[in-house]
Amino acid sequence: MPFEYADIDLPIRDATISSHRMSWEVIASPGRWWTGAERVEIARVGRAARDFDAVRSEMLPESAAYAIQKLVVDNANLNRDWYQEIISSEGMTEDRYIELVAVVVHALSIDEFHRALDLDLEPLPDPLPGQPSQIRPPEAEQRYSWPAIVPKGGLNPGDEMLYGPMQWGANVISALSLIPENVRWLHDLSEGHYLSFKEMRMPDPLRAISRPQIELIAARVSSLNECFY
Amino acid sequence: MLRESSQQTGALSSLDLQGTVNPEADTGVPHGNLLTAFAEAAVHQTDALPGLREQIVAELGVQELVDAAGVVANFQRMVRIADGCGIPLDEFTKDATDDCREELGLHEYASAANTA
Repeated sequence: MPFEYADIDLPIRDATISSHRMSWEVIASPGRWWTGAERVEIARVGRAARDFDAVRSEMLPESAAYAIQKLVVDNANLNRDWYQEIISSEGMTEDRYIELVAVVVHALSIDEFHRALDLDLEPLPDPLPGQPSQIRPPEAEQRYSWPAIVPKGGLNPGDEMLYGPMQWGANVISALSLIPENVRWLHDLSEGHYLSFKEMRMPDPLRAISRPQIELIAARVSSLNECFY
Repeated sequence: MLRESSQQTGALSSLDLQGTVNPEADTGVPHGNLLTAFAEAAVHQTDALPGLREQIVAELGVQELVDAAGVVANFQRMVRIADGCGIPLDEFTKDATDDCREELGLHEYASAANTA
């Protein structure tokens, strides 16, 4: 089983471990627009980019590998023109881009947790067989961000509460919702690394560091990445 | 979120947001400079990281180190979602941060053009 954390002397929380295992399963499984093998390859290319290795792939479209590299190491300099160029290039679409972003950023987050604690990176999972479903939510609508997003009514059953009282969710929570499974994934890894969406509304959630300390780290990481949002 | 949480908990007598963009500034958050130094070392993977891990364990505790690493990891993800999707500021964030965005120089970030 991945993420055993058996030989280390650190108190990794159960929610963290379960969110890491779930993420590896999700990455290995066929998505809506990429196969499991392609999704694992996306994670591999993202990991190589963070390690400043050459990012070539014989499996992915060239523009996909380029997009992964930009997302990982030059995210502060992305803009709408770049996005339009990527989704218009051969082998890419808006839907495939959003699925790619989700795999890249969730895999990167888990790797970053390991790097911050000087833990070995977990070997990437073996891909699971099967074909992408190729289902685009009919509720998807162009709103204010570059890709289309889906409203609460387009989320998977049981996930509606993840948007809170908002029909379209907070912008960062709905950003990847063109693949509705991403909203649940976003939440579960948030709970494992930071706070669940419910805990975000609590002034003093149960963590070893205080809420102001948590938010100070969050703000500093955002600043170091020159992220305006 | 930092300002809001500080107000809600009532734990801080004063808060200087400059500490979020300037590592020399003291926000007033307990152990804030140590935690921001750790965040910076983790993001940039610098040689200071091992010593900062030890310092956090010594001054705060080992669970505090693990939780701090989780927050770093989470926001390495969230910033890339924001940047990769060109999302605008939420209305409630825009209203709540009008006064400090200019002061902190956030409009100078390249991504400001995408999300303002």
